[in-house]
Amino acid sequence: MKPSLPARILANAVGVVVILAAGFPVYWMVNTSFLPTRAIRASEPTWVPFGGSLDNYVRLVQAGDFTQALWVSLQVAVATVAIALVFAFLAALAVARFRFLGRKFFIVVILLIQMIPAEGLFISQYKLLEGIHLLNTVAGLTLVYVATVLPFTIWTLRGFVAGIPAELEESALVDGAGSVRAFFAITLPLLAPGLVATGVFGFIQAWNEFTLALVVMNSEAMHTLPVWLHSFTNTNRGTDWGAVMAGSTLMALPVIIFFMIVQGRMASGMVSGAVKG
Amino acid sequence: MKIRTGLGLAVAGALALSACGQPAATTAPVPGATTTPAASAAAPANIRVWLNGTDTPQEARDFLKKTFEAQNAGSTLTIEEQQWTGLVDKLTTALSSDSQTPDVVEVGNTQAATFTTVGAFADVTADLAGWGGDDLLPGFVAAGSVDGKTFAVPYYAGSKAVFYRKDLFEKAGLTIPTTMAEFVDTAIKLKAANPDKTKNFSGFWFPGKDWRNAVAFIWDAGGDLATNTGGAWAGALSASGSQAGLATVQKLFTEASAAPKDGDEADTWTPFCEGQAGMISAPGWVRGLILSEENGCPDMEKNLGVFALPGSDGSSAPVLLGGSNIAVAAKSPNQELARKAVTIMLSTEYQTILAKAGLTPAKVSLASLLGDDESAKATIAAASNARLTPAAAGWASVEGAMILEDFMVNVAKGGDIAALAAEVDAKITDKLK
Amino acid sequence: MSTVQPLDLAAGASGTALPGRRRRFRGLPYGLLLPAVAVIIVALGYPLVRQVWLSFHEFGLKQQFGQPAEWVGLANYVELATDPYLWEVLGRSVLFCLVNAAVTLGLGLFIALVMQAMSAGVRIATQAALLLAWAMPVLAVLTVWQWMFDTTYGVVNWALTALGGDFSGHSWLIEPLSFFGIATLIIVWMSVPFVAFTVYAGLTQVSTDAIEAAMLDGAGTLARVRHIMLPAIKPVLAVVGLLQIVWDLRVFTQIYVLQRAGGTASDTNLLGTYVYRLGIGEGSFGMAAAVAMFLLAVTIVLTSPYLVTMFRQED
Repeated sequence: MKPSLPARILANAVGVVVILAAGFPVYWMVNTSFLPTRAIRASEPTWVPFGGSLDNYVRLVQAGDFTQALWVSLQVAVATVAIALVFAFLAALAVARFRFLGRKFFIVVILLIQMIPAEGLFISQYKLLEGIHLLNTVAGLTLVYVATVLPFTIWTLRGFVAGIPAELEESALVDGAGSVRAFFAITLPLLAPGLVATGVFGFIQAWNEFTLALVVMNSEAMHTLPVWLHSFTNTNRGTDWGAVMAGSTLMALPVIIFFMIVQGRMASGMVSGAVKG
Repeated sequence: MKIRTGLGLAVAGALALSACGQPAATTAPVPGATTTPAASAAAPANIRVWLNGTDTPQEARDFLKKTFEAQNAGSTLTIEEQQWTGLVDKLTTALSSDSQTPDVVEVGNTQAATFTTVGAFADVTADLAGWGGDDLLPGFVAAGSVDGKTFAVPYYAGSKAVFYRKDLFEKAGLTIPTTMAEFVDTAIKLKAANPDKTKNFSGFWFPGKDWRNAVAFIWDAGGDLATNTGGAWAGALSASGSQAGLATVQKLFTEASAAPKDGDEADTWTPFCEGQAGMISAPGWVRGLILSEENGCPDMEKNLGVFALPGSDGSSAPVLLGGSNIAVAAKSPNQELARKAVTIMLSTEYQTILAKAGLTPAKVSLASLLGDDESAKATIAAASNARLTPAAAGWASVEGAMILEDFMVNVAKGGDIAALAAEVDAKITDKLK
Repeated sequence: MSTVQPLDLAAGASGTALPGRRRRFRGLPYGLLLPAVAVIIVALGYPLVRQVWLSFHEFGLKQQFGQPAEWVGLANYVELATDPYLWEVLGRSVLFCLVNAAVTLGLGLFIALVMQAMSAGVRIATQAALLLAWAMPVLAVLTVWQWMFDTTYGVVNWALTALGGDFSGHSWLIEPLSFFGIATLIIVWMSVPFVAFTVYAGLTQVSTDAIEAAMLDGAGTLARVRHIMLPAIKPVLAVVGLLQIVWDLRVFTQIYVLQRAGGTASDTNLLGTYVYRLGIGEGSFGMAAAVAMFLLAVTIVLTSPYLVTMFRQED
């Protein structure tokens, strides 16, 4: 069903507008990352970084700690996504495939938890982690992040699981597979788009979170990327804007790469879950 | 041979692991009151010192570490770098935790007052004499004291001075003002003259949220932000002295400044370097920024001058004293060693390093260490009459709710200062009660 | 709207329950739930319970450092309810939330619909641009937007002046309406990609048969959209809309950062920043907890239609 030519031209025009609107701030971030601080806050904006340099990037990576922070962030984000997906998948199975006492209650509670503002919680979460001796560890931070993304992940995966016909599992069960094996062998692969969608969401949450990471990860060796970047914006002597933008670009890269790889599967994933929700 | 290597590896591994882990939590947390019994004084430990931002020069940090470790065999000192933003969050969680608390912390003046009154710091009244007694900057000691006991001591101070463009002054035929009235006059004339015909030129760059500079004019006219009458704090911006000062402030906002009416004072050097400001009021270290290749305009050096804001009576105006305090954490298990670290930080050698970096030392007698160039003279003159924000326990709430910023923005917009002051006084009184 | 009958353990045989397997499954759902529930209870349970506890106590910074906390019952809530400023902030927040959610949904839907008609190359470029916008770290996003609208050095003022207007030195944040306009611009910019992608994917699943049949019947583009596509993606829109409302009501970071950049805080506080300022800015943790509970209640009220529908559906 090809759209008519005038429709296509109009649509493409809209597309160009969207590209400019969405892309301009990103372009500005990258552009600024090549400029010296003096050129960044100046009366005349610099549109293209001719004569700019990689100085900001060099300074960032040289200041040390970048690779360390990158490593910590990667550990936390990947662990969060992996654990959250497994636990949420199991929970989604339970809620979508079985009818049991407390099921409705569980679903409603999951929804309500997502509505609670997080700003006040970090002190209590700090005390909690202190009590179980998990402060300043990847495990501790991951634990809290997993709990934070689980509600959304369970809720979304539930819809996906419900959208997969149970007959598929049944035929596997009739063929002699145990119920658990049936779930894993049949349902799981069909869930791939949904897992990818929720995985990306969880990754971004863990990758960009700041306040909790700031208070929980005390030692410099355990700083995550957002905390590391923050240290460039808060010297008493004026913010190093070039470094901030370079750092932000570096921080965005892994997320963008992750996105690009999974984009196709994600699109179809989000909608099946939504339609069944 | 094999066994020995294996053992060596095991020991090395154990040491490495313990080094990576947390400092071992001691058994009984020390209550905030007095110094600990002699037992813990002997035990070597790792002392953690929190320093904020980049003010403390590397030379001072190295000196602190070296001297401490030399004087206390077996103990080590680690400096943990913190940022000012988010510091309160970290202090709130770490200082109240038995296992995570640092031993010595650097805090700003307002935070010193806040955390002192809630008992986060150890009582160091007994150590004051050894650290300098009355020689310690009195305003800072007051900010860190409650009920006659002291919990935080000054670390370094910094006050603002006025940086000005010598060339613009010359072109407009102006001289350095010697009284407050002359200052206001100069600023207005400079803006009107705008010798280089720059767009959005300010005679005196005065952003709307900048209450920290505005307060100097209020104090100069005899007013204050809040006063304590009979034990109760109340907002004092409606008093006649405050109103007179606010009138001056409004005049400057509307006639001498083209800075954004809702801007803050975070970045004064960029407008200066862009030629949009004839005068700025900024802390001493801004000079370094203006002259830096990275951030500023080194070519401006020959045109850069500095003087202390003059008061109405011809001496320096009472400007807001900035700076930092140091305190020992109440829950620190290493009370003795922590105090030894503070002793080093308040020593003449250490403070000299700070002074050479342009920071005003914590002891009045050491002020001369700043040197005697124009910048140092201005700083010393400015500091001589400098004051702190009201020593009310709830002052941090006033700052946290941005009450004064909002008030100043409304003044800058040209509102009726009497009505605005009445409104803001009510808000301040409410927060301080 | 699930198309599958869940295995009914409690009630006995149903269409899809498998004979002879019922007994063995009894504990299984609880076992499957256990890991997730355990993590949530450990990491969120204690903080949430403590939050509720805090809201009934007088808990300030002093209490954080060891002073006993006094039980005050509903005093915090009463103080909240009688504080005219809170209701002002609430009104602003609800209005802001609804406007943002509506604009985000509208734009996202529009972009998704139009994406269908684009040439492949343009569509991919559009999706890439939206993706980049979504992936950019929040700190960078806010900083860049701040710079663009900076009073003295912003590129927007520069461009508008170059085009002939007198915008040099124009402050975009000083008037609350303008402030919220900028905030909306930023938040919509950050949220549209999620909506656009989700709705677009939903549209690609709409049966082409139905559309062709409609075309054969002579239905124009607008009619096709209105009668075929929109109903088909209603569930998607509902889910996405719900999330937008929940998130936009709680919005904090964007407002907080913009408040530091300009404008007057008391005129621009929304519930998110108000909770934060009470909690950290003033060390009134008990009061902040009460406001957070209040925010939860408001969210439930605002989304109740969806909640009720969903609850009924679960039968």
